Amino acid sequence: MKIDRNNILTALSILVFFLFVWWGNHHLTAYAVRVWEDTLIFLMLAAGYNLINGVTGQFSLEPNGFVAIGAYVTAILILTPAQKESMFIIEPMVPWLAHLHMSFLPALIIGGIVTAIVGFLLGFPVFRVRGDYLAIVTLGFGLTIRVVSNNTITITNGSLGLKGLPTYTNIWWCAVWAVVAMIVIMRIVDSAFGRAMKAIRDDEDAAIAMGINTLWIKQIAFVTAAFFEGVGGGLLASLITIISPTMFTFFLTFELLIIIVVGGLGSMTGTAIATLLVVWGSELLRVVEQPMNIFGLQIPGIPGMRMVIFSILLIVIMIFAREGIMGQREFSWDWLFNKIKGKRA
Amino acid sequence: MSEVILKCDRLTMRFGGLTAVRDFSIEIKEHMIFGLIGPNGAGKTTAFNMITGNLKPTEGRIYFYGQDITGLKPYKIVSLGMARTFQNIRLFSNLSVLENVLTGFHHKLKYNLIDAILRTPRFYKYENQMKEEGMALLESVRLADKANFRASELPYGERRKVEIARALATGPKLLLLDEPAAGMNPQETLDLMYFIQEIKDKFNLTIFLIEHDMKFVMNLCETIAVLDHGVKIAEGKPEEIRTNPDVIKAYLGDINA
Repeated sequence: MKIDRNNILTALSILVFFLFVWWGNHHLTAYAVRVWEDTLIFLMLAAGYNLINGVTGQFSLEPNGFVAIGAYVTAILILTPAQKESMFIIEPMVPWLAHLHMSFLPALIIGGIVTAIVGFLLGFPVFRVRGDYLAIVTLGFGLTIRVVSNNTITITNGSLGLKGLPTYTNIWWCAVWAVVAMIVIMRIVDSAFGRAMKAIRDDEDAAIAMGINTLWIKQIAFVTAAFFEGVGGGLLASLITIISPTMFTFFLTFELLIIIVVGGLGSMTGTAIATLLVVWGSELLRVVEQPMNIFGLQIPGIPGMRMVIFSILLIVIMIFAREGIMGQREFSWDWLFNKIKGKRA
Repeated sequence: MSEVILKCDRLTMRFGGLTAVRDFSIEIKEHMIFGLIGPNGAGKTTAFNMITGNLKPTEGRIYFYGQDITGLKPYKIVSLGMARTFQNIRLFSNLSVLENVLTGFHHKLKYNLIDAILRTPRFYKYENQMKEEGMALLESVRLADKANFRASELPYGERRKVEIARALATGPKLLLLDEPAAGMNPQETLDLMYFIQEIKDKFNLTIFLIEHDMKFVMNLCETIAVLDHGVKIAEGKPEEIRTNPDVIKAYLGDINA
């Protein structure tokens, strides 16, 4: 009975969410819709990132690399052969890729799968190390992807990047994928696999002694994260319509890191709240990058000022709320009902 | 005669130039409580780590029920029926007591990732079954009322019991306890002694433990081996060990020195 009630409530809230999306698509300004699209893509990216960093406790810095792979794969698949031919002016594209063309959904899924495979292969060497070393080697991966995409001219068009991508991404694509990502990730967390991930986070040696194949569990988290980050990259590519090697820098990873730390490492609820705060916050903070006139003091627009503010925010959170907004807690219907009953009693 | 459950054949572990354990050979029979004692730094934990697969011995072989397990991965050894606890209690501090125990079931998990994502009937069936088994296990060690406490909220003595319960969840035939009484007051130590005796009978276990507390070892163990500077200097019944001149020398120093 209880489980049924919770499932119905979850289904209802997803329905309400999609009603909101439908309403927003018709009534919100194009700008607001665009920010919502960003928010939902970032939610998917951050949820995946939190699975490996927060739930499994493997501090890694690779998402920009995964997003880049997903973006490139999807972009190459949705560009028409004619577009590719006109774009590759330094060197022609490798023939089998030049003729490949498909619709958006398979392109996104293949983007996700390719990224997941890369994640799987990457997992074997990087999970030989723990802690800070893992952060360093995965940071290196993000940089490697940038160098590779810059130099594999016959595949990625090198530093010229890919332009004029068809704009398939709309708020519906983002909303559906974000919901799918959240459901899949939360279900993994709330299963024996999630327990094993948390066990590894709390004490890896003890997890090994409990008979948990820790490499395998880390791989599950890593590959799941890679898949959704790849799909997110594909959505971003079609949203921005231009991709180049310099687009997916460490700043993307940094932004996701802020989101999961602010929300609470290991809490998907926290990730959702923090994504809203950070994406919308950084839109509101655009003001600080504009030229300002404070009491007669002329300040020219400083690009990157928002990042300074976010860094300060991160430090403040580290000092006052070390566990983030939600810590490791999750929202649950049971919790809500207990709260309501508690207040009445 | 009962069967030999664990046999170590001339185990040697070298770390660079240091030989931590040299030619360590023991045989443990089923349903025994076997104690390994020795002064600090004698190599007891190193011997443990070799048996559980955390360290790969430089030389020598380990047999579990006659099967050579030398160099197997720790999680493989666990699934064969060997579980351990740690010297400094290592619970999953952010998980509840029940969840801690459930991690012990992971190696015999009967549903896969797809079941978990799609929430198939199989997922619910085995998830519920695991929770019931976990509660039953906690019930049998009288920790059921603490099931939903976070592991970090429990007092020290109970944490040790949870750690043992978690090891029991893996379904071991041989349980290795690394200094179970470390850091406990006399009353807690006494409780633990009864507790170990109790679970041994209840779960039909063989127990291999390392301990510093002499009274604890002498009262609990049927056979004791003594390790000093990585070498086994004696093995026998508690009363033999108590009067063995080599053991006294190792612990108290040479009278003639």
